[in-house]
Amino acid sequence: MNLKKLQQQKIKDILDEKQKWSLPIVEKDASIKKVLAILTGRDHVWVVEKKGSKKLCGVITESDILHLLAPPRVPRYTFGKRYSISLLYKTARKAKDIMCKRVARCSLEDKVGDTLTKMVNSGLRRLPIVENDEIIGEITVHYILQKLLGKI
Amino acid sequence: MSMETLLLLVGLALILARLIGYALEKIKQPAVIGEILAGILVGPFVIGKIFGLEYLSPETEALGKLGIILLLFLSGIEIGIDEIKSASKKGLITTCFDASFAFLFGFIVGHILGYSTIVSIAIGNILVATSVGITVRTLMEMNALHSKVGEMILTVAVLDDVFGIVILSVTLGHGSSELLLLKVFLFFLIFLATLFLASRIKNIKINIPNFVLTSSLSFLLIFSALAKMLGLAAITGSFFAGLLLSRSKHRRRLINFTRQIGEVFFIPLFFIWIGASFDFYALEDLGLLVLLFIPMAMLGKIIGCSLGARVCGLKGRDAFAVGIGMMPRLEVALVVVTTEISMGVFSKELAQQILAATVLLVIITSLITPFLLKTVYKR
Repeated sequence: MNLKKLQQQKIKDILDEKQKWSLPIVEKDASIKKVLAILTGRDHVWVVEKKGSKKLCGVITESDILHLLAPPRVPRYTFGKRYSISLLYKTARKAKDIMCKRVARCSLEDKVGDTLTKMVNSGLRRLPIVENDEIIGEITVHYILQKLLGKI
Repeated sequence: MSMETLLLLVGLALILARLIGYALEKIKQPAVIGEILAGILVGPFVIGKIFGLEYLSPETEALGKLGIILLLFLSGIEIGIDEIKSASKKGLITTCFDASFAFLFGFIVGHILGYSTIVSIAIGNILVATSVGITVRTLMEMNALHSKVGEMILTVAVLDDVFGIVILSVTLGHGSSELLLLKVFLFFLIFLATLFLASRIKNIKINIPNFVLTSSLSFLLIFSALAKMLGLAAITGSFFAGLLLSRSKHRRRLINFTRQIGEVFFIPLFFIWIGASFDFYALEDLGLLVLLFIPMAMLGKIIGCSLGARVCGLKGRDAFAVGIGMMPRLEVALVVVTTEISMGVFSKELAQQILAATVLLVIITSLITPFLLKTVYKR
């Protein structure tokens, strides 16, 4: 597929069903153990309000887990509680303790080009597709690349 | 100061600060003390005396003040509105005890030494905020970060920074008390209006590279200027700008960006400037001030936090450990004393003495807290 053409397309035009139903999701009160289990096979997990709900309230990525696994480092200038969240010291107990609460998002009507720009500007490799605050799918660089190369 | 002297001294100060800071981190002491020591080295009593180079200048002061603005912005954005809102009732009660006693004990020091009411209030302000970096490291070593004591200390430490900034704004702004209250009210009204507006603005597409970072930095500086124009301290503006931006979906990126430019350059320059401003001659006249200031600073926290924690259901030994853990003063205490000095609260001679006493308080509390905490908590 032509890249320029792909950039002009809307998310809804390139999205297949798998991107909608195979989402890695946990509820915010899920245990860390459950989050870690999902992350053994995926590189991120979307956090929703409660079981059965799709209301998006955060995301946990490999990078977050990396910080939890590494020996905790208290920064030079310490404020807030973020630096004290640790697996080693049992201060990370639930998904909500470690999730990133403010999540950049996109919608089905967004163009692929705009979505990629958003990813570049926010330093992200994936965005949730959200409608009425509910997650209905996800778009990743990996998926867009597969689409470009005609592999899906 | 010539440009080449400025570049030379700032360059030298930065590398010294990092090396000494790192060495101190290795022996489980805060890097900030290393930055202050580097400041003493490049200041008038060492390099200044040997080579005749003067570090203290309007240029280095301006760089240091930008460091304060970034430090308080970092504090606001890392603490965040959500963390304040989610603080437990117990944490809030303990913070009220903590801040009241710390402030009161500082005020009493000023009163006993015969200083004016405004100077006594200023001394009280210095003692409100805690820095728990050293306590957190100690609790990690003891594997007690997840204990009731650890959780209480973390919650109270978050809240008392906020209390410290608010108390500073309310007590030391310019103008009569009625006018000051009006200005504080106006500032918080602007804060709430901005918060409301920010929550309404969604899905604005601006595809200018780095616009988020530039506009956030610009917002920080304008909000700090606004606070200053209203007669409050610029740091009040920068702290609240941080709180406002803590709700942004770009929060993590902003924190990383601020840490990058702040930790590497501007913030160390503030602590270096503090070290360079440390006047050894002021130590000669410190006597009674230090004898009262440091013990009262420690007692204020121990009594206030222990009482608060006790009221909230912690047992005697645990409540006492909370008090001990809340003793260290560092970043915010130094920011508050510098702000008060630049607001002209102290006479020149007294300013040197208060600054020296605060630096000593920072060093002493950082050194003794781990030992005391281990003793109290293990027993």
